[in-house]
Amino acid sequence: MNASPLKQLWQKFQRTRIGRSIFRVGLPDSNLERSQVMVSSFLLHMQPAKVNKHSLRASYSFGLGLITLYLFFILIGTGVLLMFYYVPSTERAYDSMKDLEFVVSAGQLIRNMHRWAAHLMVLFVVLHLCRVFYTAAYKPPREFNWVLGVALMLLTLGLSFTGYLLPWDQLAYWAITVGTNISGYAPVVGPKLKYLMLGGNVVGQPALIRFYALHVMVLPAVTILMVAIHLWRVRKDGGLSRPDEPGNVVAQVELSHLPTNKTYGLMELARGTTPQVGANPEDEVFSWPHLVFREMLLFMFVVAVLLVLAIGWNAPLEQFANPIHPPNPAKAPWYFLGLQELVAHSAFWGGVGVPTLLVVTLVLLPYVDRQRRGTGRWFARERVLANTIFSICLFVAIVLTIIGSLFRGPNWSWQEPWKKPPAATESH
Amino acid sequence: MANESVRKFYPWFTVLGLVVGSLVVGGYYKDQFREWKDFQRKFVREEVRRAITPQQRTLAESTPVQVRQILLPELNRVDRCTTCHLAVDDPTYGGYPQPLAYHPLHEQHPSEKFGCTICHRGQGRATTTAAAHGNVPHWDEPMLPLMYIQASCGKCHQAADNPAAPELAHGQQIFEDSGCRGCHKLGGTGGIIGPDLDKVGARRSSEWLKKHFLSPAAVTPGSGMPPQKFSEPDLEAITLFMLSQTGEMVPGYYASMKVIASPDEGQRLFQQKGCIGCHSLGGKGGTVGPALDDVGMRRAPDWIVAHFKDPQMVTPGTVMPKFGFTEAEARSLTDFLMHMREQKVALSLPSLMGPVERGREVFRKYGCAGCHGPDAQGGVPNPNAKTAQQVPGLKYVADSYTKDEIFKRILNGQHEIVSLDASKPAPPLYMPGWRGTIKDPELDDLVAYLFSLKPKDAENLGF
Amino acid sequence: MNDPTPSNGVSRRAFFQLFLGWLAGLFAFGASAVAAVRFLVPNVLFEPSEQFKADKPEDYLDGSVTFLEDERVFLIRNGNTFRCLSAVCTHLGCTVNRAEHGYHCPCHGSVFDDQGAVKGGPAPRALTWFLVTLSKDGRLLIDKGQPTAPDRYFVL
Repeated sequence: MNASPLKQLWQKFQRTRIGRSIFRVGLPDSNLERSQVMVSSFLLHMQPAKVNKHSLRASYSFGLGLITLYLFFILIGTGVLLMFYYVPSTERAYDSMKDLEFVVSAGQLIRNMHRWAAHLMVLFVVLHLCRVFYTAAYKPPREFNWVLGVALMLLTLGLSFTGYLLPWDQLAYWAITVGTNISGYAPVVGPKLKYLMLGGNVVGQPALIRFYALHVMVLPAVTILMVAIHLWRVRKDGGLSRPDEPGNVVAQVELSHLPTNKTYGLMELARGTTPQVGANPEDEVFSWPHLVFREMLLFMFVVAVLLVLAIGWNAPLEQFANPIHPPNPAKAPWYFLGLQELVAHSAFWGGVGVPTLLVVTLVLLPYVDRQRRGTGRWFARERVLANTIFSICLFVAIVLTIIGSLFRGPNWSWQEPWKKPPAATESH
Repeated sequence: MANESVRKFYPWFTVLGLVVGSLVVGGYYKDQFREWKDFQRKFVREEVRRAITPQQRTLAESTPVQVRQILLPELNRVDRCTTCHLAVDDPTYGGYPQPLAYHPLHEQHPSEKFGCTICHRGQGRATTTAAAHGNVPHWDEPMLPLMYIQASCGKCHQAADNPAAPELAHGQQIFEDSGCRGCHKLGGTGGIIGPDLDKVGARRSSEWLKKHFLSPAAVTPGSGMPPQKFSEPDLEAITLFMLSQTGEMVPGYYASMKVIASPDEGQRLFQQKGCIGCHSLGGKGGTVGPALDDVGMRRAPDWIVAHFKDPQMVTPGTVMPKFGFTEAEARSLTDFLMHMREQKVALSLPSLMGPVERGREVFRKYGCAGCHGPDAQGGVPNPNAKTAQQVPGLKYVADSYTKDEIFKRILNGQHEIVSLDASKPAPPLYMPGWRGTIKDPELDDLVAYLFSLKPKDAENLGF
Repeated sequence: MNDPTPSNGVSRRAFFQLFLGWLAGLFAFGASAVAAVRFLVPNVLFEPSEQFKADKPEDYLDGSVTFLEDERVFLIRNGNTFRCLSAVCTHLGCTVNRAEHGYHCPCHGSVFDDQGAVKGGPAPRALTWFLVTLSKDGRLLIDKGQPTAPDRYFVL
């Protein structure tokens, strides 16, 4: 075909020695190239060469995992930028936040994007978990990937919690005071754990610098590693779950036990599961461009939504942290409010019991669930019991969170949000 | 199998594994053996030995072995000296060898409020003897030798009033008497021929200072400062005073302790605040408020202190303003007034002195004696100066100059000093201009004093 | 060579070498992990010390309740006995005020009696009493890290 002069120029560059040293394969133009690009390109090699059409359906996955991933990338990008101005010192943190708000070009915008992306990521990680549960996508061979996902959810909460303290305003200080108090309720290890987290007995400079180190380096590094393994497993487990998967593992047969009176095709000798086993060519399309293009669109959509939020709503910054003046009520970040509501009734159950039970149940789920059927479909009939239990737990969690955020006023007393006086309930 | 080729590396694997393992363990254990732990264990053994009741014994045995530090956020310091100096606050350890000795001034300067390095210098954050005592590279504040410790009193307290720092007061007196201010600025006042001395105590060691006093040109080549002839005790005293000038700003709580209540401080404040404007002493002064000659007989000290702190509350309807005196200042002023009752001291208040007396004070204040000699007698060397290689004395200015000429000379100075031998370097000392520094009323008094210097029985030599 | 190498495994010497190497290596790794965790546990705190010295016992009048603002405690003397009560309200941490009998919190109205027990308001627990002893230089030594019973006095 006749390419434009610019494209011709580009192709000419690609054929030079320098060009060939950088770009091993050009933009795919043929099916062969479309198959190759996933393996030859660093940025794309996580993708499969071909993807099942069912996996592309928005109504199946809603792209929730991808959205979470994109939010993570945006958080890293905005976070790194913020690091050039934010100072993790109790004397200077708050002032550096003010500088970002007032005198740094796009400072307010980038901070807002960071804050809203953080909240959304916690939300979408939970939504993604719900999707995977309801489509029974944690069943074999994807059990370990589910466990990785639970770990990633905990890491997301940890990242959000450690970042919450950094502005060093009243909101930050007291949310973390409440949060670390809750962690101190764990039996035996609780107080020691709290001491290690805070680097002392109070929320002060040592706590701030520890939370900062965790937030900008330790937790992101661990998260990136686990995300990589998580995506790797998605590939190796056969892509997204589908209703018509060939079921479980191809029987592994020792080579010496195979009868020798016939000829074997290559796939019959392949060990373990591969994405190709049971793959029906009619259901597959090339990732380039079908998957990649959808991914890009989704990314643009996420960015657009974030920009709308960042332009329209400012991230909060309350007064400078004052250890002597707790607000009344002092509330944890929203994703912990359900726990705080429980803590108000029982410190142990809210702080230790329920969270531990939740995490343990989630981790053990794929190994305890014996039902083999129902994967790849929303609300499969065979899973009515599991889906119901899960939905009830989800509903309770949501209700507790709503109570904690809207229906609790000073002294954690019951209040109706529509009756709340407009002035802030600050104690002086 | 491939293992064959790798098998030759197995011994390396073993050796490296063992090496790395022992290095990790060794490194960690080396870190655990700290010098201060030995000192602390010695202390615990001593405490146990001294324990009488079994209760005391268990208490002593359970003393934790850990780093001890004193946080001083106002002074921006962290002092860990008490990690080894464990008995600074325990009088029963008086006379023990260091590091377990009791600190004699602990009552007035408790270690938990002051730390240690604010007076003793050194490196507070260190936990080894050498590093903590500060005689290490890249640490500019080694510990003060104990004989100069009074220098640190000057950080917070006035030198003159402190009964616990006589050396410091002596040093300051030598400084004023020798007229060092004539060439050097200290605390904002003084001459510009030599460098300002406000931070000299932080920059120079005692050895340097002593050498410099005895022979400035040997220590700083090209210096015009004349060698000082101090006796040995005076030399130590003035060195100590110089060491006290560190320029360190002492904040808040510590600054409020600056003033040690004394009648001299009271007199200083009395003059400074202009009390004589409303009250009279010895018949001289204002009449708005009552005469203060025998206030000590009429009022109790507590009443006077309270009155200084808040006149309105003590005598409602008074027009005496509230000066915002600190506790120490109020007590000083009260001491001063009570002192008068007891001794009827002749007041040397400038408002009550004559011009010549005042002029003498001006002469002293600006350190003219540094160049023109004590009492303006001359004798200070100025190499290669035509005037007998000395800075001229001022005894006969009344004969040589009119009042106007003297005024001009003092205000403008004389920067060009005529050389004796033109081929040799120019004389290092010159007369600076004091315009803007010496105020007009002071100038009048100074000239009156200078004119009074001519010996009464001398003939008019007609220079 | 006095060390027959079996065809399907490792020789005794090779096994021993591998075993020792792995053992030492894993031990090194474990020790490093221990050192890293110990690294994270602070040895010194940069908070106001929990222990502090008040004045000498004779500086406090009999029957007095002295408020020490910086430390947020009340120092109470009765005859020759001394006690120290925390002034930090157990509700949300405001500083309580001395009332005629007992203590009142100005923030949310908690009321405590002379023993620190809750008489009213949202406070969940009684005020804490701290251990009082004598320091080496004869001053009252209070340890806010050592809560004690309300009837535990320091007797001069």
